[in-house]
Amino acid sequence: MKIVIAGAGEVGSHLAKLLSREEQDIVLVDDDSSKLDAISSNYNLMTFRGSPTSFDALRNAGVENCDLFIAVTPFETRNVTSCAIAKSLGAKRTVARIDNYEYMTNDNRDFFTRLGVNSLIYPEYLAASEIVTALERNWVRHWFEIHDGEIILVGVKLRDNARLIGMQLKELAAMQHNFHVSAIKRNHETIIPRGDDYIKSNDILYFTTRRDDVNELLELCGKRHRPIKKVMIMGGSRIAVRLVKMAGERYRFKIIEISRERCLKLSEKVPDADIVCGDARDIDTLKEERISDMDAFIALTDSSETNILSCLSAKEFGVPKTIAEVENIQFISEAEGLNIGTIVNKKLLASSKIFQMLLDADSSSSKCLALADAEVAEIEVKPKSKITKAPVKDLNLSRSMTIAGLIRDGHGQLVTGNTTIQAGDHVLVFCLAGSIHKIERLFN
Amino acid sequence: MFKRLTRLNIAMLLRVIGWLLMIESAFLVVPLLTCLYYGESDWEAFAIALCITATVGVLMTFCIRPGRSDMGKREGFLLTASVWVFFSLCGMIPFMLGVSPIGFTDAFFEAISAFTTTGASTYVSVDNLSHGLKLWRCLMEWLGGMGIILFTLAVIPMLNYSGGMQMFNAEVTGITHEKLRPRVSQTAKGLWFVYFILTGILIVLLYMGPMSLFDSVCYAFSVMSTGGVSTSDAGIGAWDSLYIKIVFIVFMVLGGVNFGLIFKVGTGQFKAVRENQVFRIFMGTIIVLVFMTSIAAYIGNPVHSIETSVVDPLFQVVSMMTSTGFSVPEVNMWGDFVLLLVFLMMFMGGCAGSTSGGAKIDRIIVLIKHSRNEIYRCLHPNSILNVRVNNKVASPDTVSKVIAFLCLYVMIVLVASGLLTILGMPLGHSFFTSLSCISNAGLGINIMGVDATFIGIPDVGKWILSLVMLIGRLELFTVLLLFTTDFWRK
Repeated sequence: MKIVIAGAGEVGSHLAKLLSREEQDIVLVDDDSSKLDAISSNYNLMTFRGSPTSFDALRNAGVENCDLFIAVTPFETRNVTSCAIAKSLGAKRTVARIDNYEYMTNDNRDFFTRLGVNSLIYPEYLAASEIVTALERNWVRHWFEIHDGEIILVGVKLRDNARLIGMQLKELAAMQHNFHVSAIKRNHETIIPRGDDYIKSNDILYFTTRRDDVNELLELCGKRHRPIKKVMIMGGSRIAVRLVKMAGERYRFKIIEISRERCLKLSEKVPDADIVCGDARDIDTLKEERISDMDAFIALTDSSETNILSCLSAKEFGVPKTIAEVENIQFISEAEGLNIGTIVNKKLLASSKIFQMLLDADSSSSKCLALADAEVAEIEVKPKSKITKAPVKDLNLSRSMTIAGLIRDGHGQLVTGNTTIQAGDHVLVFCLAGSIHKIERLFN
Repeated sequence: MFKRLTRLNIAMLLRVIGWLLMIESAFLVVPLLTCLYYGESDWEAFAIALCITATVGVLMTFCIRPGRSDMGKREGFLLTASVWVFFSLCGMIPFMLGVSPIGFTDAFFEAISAFTTTGASTYVSVDNLSHGLKLWRCLMEWLGGMGIILFTLAVIPMLNYSGGMQMFNAEVTGITHEKLRPRVSQTAKGLWFVYFILTGILIVLLYMGPMSLFDSVCYAFSVMSTGGVSTSDAGIGAWDSLYIKIVFIVFMVLGGVNFGLIFKVGTGQFKAVRENQVFRIFMGTIIVLVFMTSIAAYIGNPVHSIETSVVDPLFQVVSMMTSTGFSVPEVNMWGDFVLLLVFLMMFMGGCAGSTSGGAKIDRIIVLIKHSRNEIYRCLHPNSILNVRVNNKVASPDTVSKVIAFLCLYVMIVLVASGLLTILGMPLGHSFFTSLSCISNAGLGINIMGVDATFIGIPDVGKWILSLVMLIGRLELFTVLLLFTTDFWRK
């Protein structure tokens, strides 16, 4: 698939690297050559210097025959303009990154379609919804549901009190549980487990299960559900604003922001939350705002390091749930190792959105979840695809992927070696980074 | 002591080299079949070479199990440089085992000179060589012309990851490495496709002239790669045909042009030619130099005709500029001024991204424009000036890299010629030979009116020159980097 990405900022260059590893043809366009040079000489993609809103530049970059055009410059107006130009030049599908909730509403969809923008990505919105899920299901690291929760993928970190520790996956299977261990994240590495793998303490386990059976996991993993009411947010970023607007009635938010000017704006924008002007890195400020009474602590400043460290100190004050925004990808697994409850990364959220488009160009029913080094995707099985030819155990699937569950006729069920997948099923696939193109081949 | 070395992924490196050697063994089949066709006993030498190369390749590929498969920048550079050495080591076997065997040093020199498209030869006479051996020399040049790594990138998907990018950067000539298509394998395929088609056309054109099919193929390989190996001692003079000379001139020029540009023209983007400043300057320089050489030829040569005063100088200039290294016999009559031009042309070379050698016109343009800016700055110290090449502003980093390149280039020539004088060669000769080798032109000192080929150089000198040729082909940095302690130390 030929993909043109306009804007070599954080999201753009991350996407470009990721997609080039997925063996897609990538052209990255930006008007700053210093951003392009390093990427061009180290990654298997082509860069092109030119303005993303120039007809000439886009034509030279080959937009005319590209399958997907992604505009992710920092400015939404630029992104929309550039998508409109790309569409008029002949791009098959366009995606613009935006920064305005209004644009997402259904009433305004038509307007963007007419302009030539097929899809919109709003990373801050995605991040805010991710945080809301994390607050609701606060005993898990990841919660990913498809088809209204018919199949649910949960990532849980196991502590010493979990009953599963020390077990072999074969034994687990013999015990007839209603879940499937899809992946294990251990020491910065995600593995797709086999029958002879053992479960160890400090592993993050990814289970696939049905909605009714989730509670069984709770007990097996030694977790319990704590209701959350009071939430402290550090840093009044755009995600924080979106979050309070989204869940302001359910939770009591308290935002600590360092800049007075920003605080004044926040108090105007989000009347639901208490705004405190102060430095959340300062222990006295935290104590003053009674951090030990909080049920959750969310760090959303621009600095990943500050977010990670502040979450750690919040943990020390006894806050049960911490959430940190970590934008440096290599810090994510470090942060996961440091017992930070949930990690939010705008880049990964945006790229999972794009992956979803890659996997299923016409349908918006499918979903995709990008983890630091793995992807989870929901895929609809097309008639006559390779995957339907034999039971799963006889398909010789690559070791970098596993089929976790499927939805047939609206009902979720787990997949075992003897299951034969049929056309029309929705399948939940867990695959390691760099192998999503293999999946495409299996399903089309 | 080894603890202080960085941990290079040597296992993976050897494994990839193993793969590449298997490819080389496939190429060895061509001269083997040629020998069998002509009924020459050299087929045994090729059969042995084939067996050795294939065995080593298979062993390296299937017996080495690398613990990790990632390759970083260091491995990329080391791999690119060592592939050329490994290829030469295997490619030299037929020379050592043939009917008229030559020694280890000479054979290695011969092989690396062919792979780097230098075309310098230690053979006093090539007339008696078997057809297989002649073809093998040309085939090596052809393979080395576009690049071994580039060929592999085009045919094997295995190298198509970021490690492959490093190797692409380490091998392809030029200041910046323009990509034609998003993926490096597509770029490599595009470039090889152009190369392949041009070679095919050249074979047909030569065959239509007075050449036999065998000679057409050999010369096509030799000209397209701007290598300059001949199939007979008389070289181009053997035909005495104006047609052949003109065909050679056209295709040598094409070999000196950026293949990316040819690709664009091939896909209908004629605008690219007009916009390509380097191409215009390349053609302009040829015209000016031909004019000067013509005058010298008119004065020097008692025979006056269009052929001796225009075509011969044109042939000689193009052959030098593109570092092919063919020469017309009359050169000796043209005087010392032309000899000076020869030095200059060898140094300059063709366009970046072509198969030609030398320092490349692109860099000379940067140097001249930058120097002009510096002179202007003496009076206007606050003016902001930039260096434009092909309508793109070269960043100060690029400019300083180019200047470092040119300084190193000259320094290597000086050091190499200094070493050769220590070995007892005359100063002029050693300077000429060093420049000829680093530029991959492969012109022997016989052009200076002395009757001697590379055979007269002492063995140590041949090893020095082999290294110089490799440094020149991989454009200095890739090879020189391996001699820094920083590369190896933790």
